Amino acid sequence: MQPTSSQDMIVLENVWKIFGYNADEAMAAIKERNLSKNDVLAEFGCVVGIADCSFSVRKGEVFCVMGLSGSGKSTMVRHLNRLIEPTAGKINVLGRDMLALNDADLRAMRAREIGMVFQHMALLPHRTVRDNVAFPLQIRGESKAKRWEVSQRCLAMVNLEGYEDRFPNELSGGMQQRVGLARALASDPDVLLMDEPFSALDPLIRRQLQDQFMELSQKLHKTTVFITHDLDEAIRIGDRIAIMKDGRIVQIGTPEEIVTQPADDYVRDFVEGISKLKLVFAHSIMVPISEFKPDRGQKLDKAPRASHAASLDALIDISATTTHPIVIHDDDGKEIGVVDKTTLLKGIQGGKA
Amino acid sequence: MTEPADKNHLGASIDTFAVSKTTFYRREFTRIQEAEGIVLSWNSMAAIFGPLWGAMRGIWGFFWVFLVLEMFALVQIGRGLWGELGGDKLERYERLSANIAKREAQAAELLAAGDAAGAEGKLKIATNLKKAAETALLEAQEAAQQATTVLLIGLSLLLLVKLLEGFYANHAYERQYLKWRSNPRIQSGTSVKGVIWGLVLVFCILPLTLIRFTVVKTDETLSAFTGGLLGDRLPMTEFPVGKEYFTILAAHGDEGFDWLANRFGGVFDGITHVIRSVLNAIETLLIGTPWPVVMVVIVVAAFRLAGIRIAIFTAAALAYLAFMGLWEISMITVALIGTGAFLCILLGIPLGIWFGKSQRAYKTAEPVLDFMQTMPAFVYLIPIIAFFGTGKPPGVLATLIFAMPPVIRLTALGMRGVPETTKEAALAFGCSRRQLLWNVELPLAMPSIMTGINQTILMSLSMVVIASLIGAEGLGALILEALQYAAKGQGLLGGLAILFCAMVIDRVAQGAYKKNQD
Repeated sequence: MQPTSSQDMIVLENVWKIFGYNADEAMAAIKERNLSKNDVLAEFGCVVGIADCSFSVRKGEVFCVMGLSGSGKSTMVRHLNRLIEPTAGKINVLGRDMLALNDADLRAMRAREIGMVFQHMALLPHRTVRDNVAFPLQIRGESKAKRWEVSQRCLAMVNLEGYEDRFPNELSGGMQQRVGLARALASDPDVLLMDEPFSALDPLIRRQLQDQFMELSQKLHKTTVFITHDLDEAIRIGDRIAIMKDGRIVQIGTPEEIVTQPADDYVRDFVEGISKLKLVFAHSIMVPISEFKPDRGQKLDKAPRASHAASLDALIDISATTTHPIVIHDDDGKEIGVVDKTTLLKGIQGGKA
Repeated sequence: MTEPADKNHLGASIDTFAVSKTTFYRREFTRIQEAEGIVLSWNSMAAIFGPLWGAMRGIWGFFWVFLVLEMFALVQIGRGLWGELGGDKLERYERLSANIAKREAQAAELLAAGDAAGAEGKLKIATNLKKAAETALLEAQEAAQQATTVLLIGLSLLLLVKLLEGFYANHAYERQYLKWRSNPRIQSGTSVKGVIWGLVLVFCILPLTLIRFTVVKTDETLSAFTGGLLGDRLPMTEFPVGKEYFTILAAHGDEGFDWLANRFGGVFDGITHVIRSVLNAIETLLIGTPWPVVMVVIVVAAFRLAGIRIAIFTAAALAYLAFMGLWEISMITVALIGTGAFLCILLGIPLGIWFGKSQRAYKTAEPVLDFMQTMPAFVYLIPIIAFFGTGKPPGVLATLIFAMPPVIRLTALGMRGVPETTKEAALAFGCSRRQLLWNVELPLAMPSIMTGINQTILMSLSMVVIASLIGAEGLGALILEALQYAAKGQGLLGGLAILFCAMVIDRVAQGAYKKNQD
């Protein structure tokens, strides 16, 4: 395990979760004999929810966990605030060993440091929007005036002013989820856990909420773990993405890494349908300038320039206006490579030169 | 044969199911399945062997139905063949004849002694008896002549049953086959074990039943057959046990109750005391306070809680009670119900919460709750009298037993109906268990709890008459009195008074709840 930097807000080390009566025996057997998920089910009647998960999330980062249903992603996120106890492993949030916390400390941690948004909103139907948002503060024993003030501010953040005195069932699904988000922000936590928050919404509303969330996220710099089953969403929102399958993390990387270097066939299948235009950048497809052999009559000094971090999308825009290849320079302005039309088309096609 | 592939597969599965006679069943099942209306499909084996065929093929519904039908037909045949039709009449004739002979002998004696008038009387009796005896004899002969008819009816019944068996068997077996396809544990093929069981059952049931219904002196006949084993030593017409065990156990029960009453007298007195103090407080409130105050408060409360219409209804109901001169005893009744309902809610809601949270506790308590609701009230009135004596507090206790289950059940139901996701969200924001209960679970369970409270109140009301049996005063006692003297008018007016009390409480509670919902 690489040394964790002080910037790491969440660190998971070799976390396992096994459901069933013989969980501990099954765990021991797995460590000794390296059993597979099916072996464990057959031998101990236990279901492996999470298998040997390790990752760390840096301060202010949006860390997406992507997987299909049953891949253990929702189970995994519930370990971070110990709604589910792990069978083995270490969980460290904000520098504190979560598993060593007693009940009171754990509750304090949940009420102050870790906010959570749920797929099915889980608002309290008998409370107004205002009181729903204020709920975490009420739990902490704050005064009514303080609760309402914070509630007002958080509702403003999600553009829900004017709905304070409504009840949740009077709001649309998208609005309800914004209330859920406001509630998670109300206690001003350092860590946000989002369990498929937009999955139950229709595509248009989902996109709006994604935009709104990204805007908020840039403003507030909350360290976020974002669960989703939608790779498009993960790529749009995530700084880094972890892909889970059968309780294991298959690959962790930036969206570009995931798209350009899928770790196995499973990930490759996912990535196949994803548009690469905004995910693949010039440095991934360019031909180094030393190896470039210009056609007759082509002069690179007339060619347009682009940064090595320009996306394929941007390169297509440039290429459409000229017959020349594009010269790629690095951050210091040094010319390091060339992208001509052939390279560009191949890049669009495969994501890789 | 060139059947489509899937049909072949179906046929193969019919073969696997039927095991023997596969071609026959394959053909008949196909016919049944392809028919659009009713189809006649004959099974000779089933017709011949009847219930035993069903036992062999594992169709026990067929076995039982046709066993009973065949038995009925056989009993008729038995009655026709050897049954002493009119046997009871013949017996009566013989008895009467003996009596006549006795009277005639007595008359002869009296005549010899010179008492002509006495002899005359005896002879008159004998003549009357003779008439009766002749009628009996005539009836007996008539009945005996019907033997042939009964026999014929029996035979045609048997034939009908056999036809039914034959035509019904394949349909029943086809249904069994369809069930077997989705549940392979259902019997397929033929089973020797089934036949043996079928035979055992037939031999246990058929002969005894046949004898019982075709022979007049069942036990004597049986004892003649079995050398006194059945019939004499073990009578068949009634179970050879009297009330011996019952008496012993009842005596022990008495002792047990007495012991408990002595041993825990203090506890019972304590409970009585608590109930009495609640009862006194409510009674003082309702009766001690001047009646105009109570009436105004009730009507205003109804108006505030449930609106103008229910307030008018309440005022009318109260006026009825007052003008019938039932005001005081109505308030006594309401105090009784109020105490019962109050205690039900006080104990029932915490219990309901507990049962809602703990599946195991609920499983344990469920039979007790069923018992409390289904046991007739009279049964637990007896131990209540033994432990708590008579009067109002035991009446309240009887009400508690009957009326508490709904509030417990509905509270538990409401608690379990709180969505897991909502509870999880609350926990994720750092709720303690107590905060979860007060802020999330109870508010969300409230509709169900309110229904429970309402039901409990109404069930308390239905207990007032029964509670009056053990000396609880009030409207119930009025009705009980009316019942004892068959005083129809009093009963009707008292019944209306109870009805109005119930409706006022129910309407106000429901109205208040609906108003809250809006």
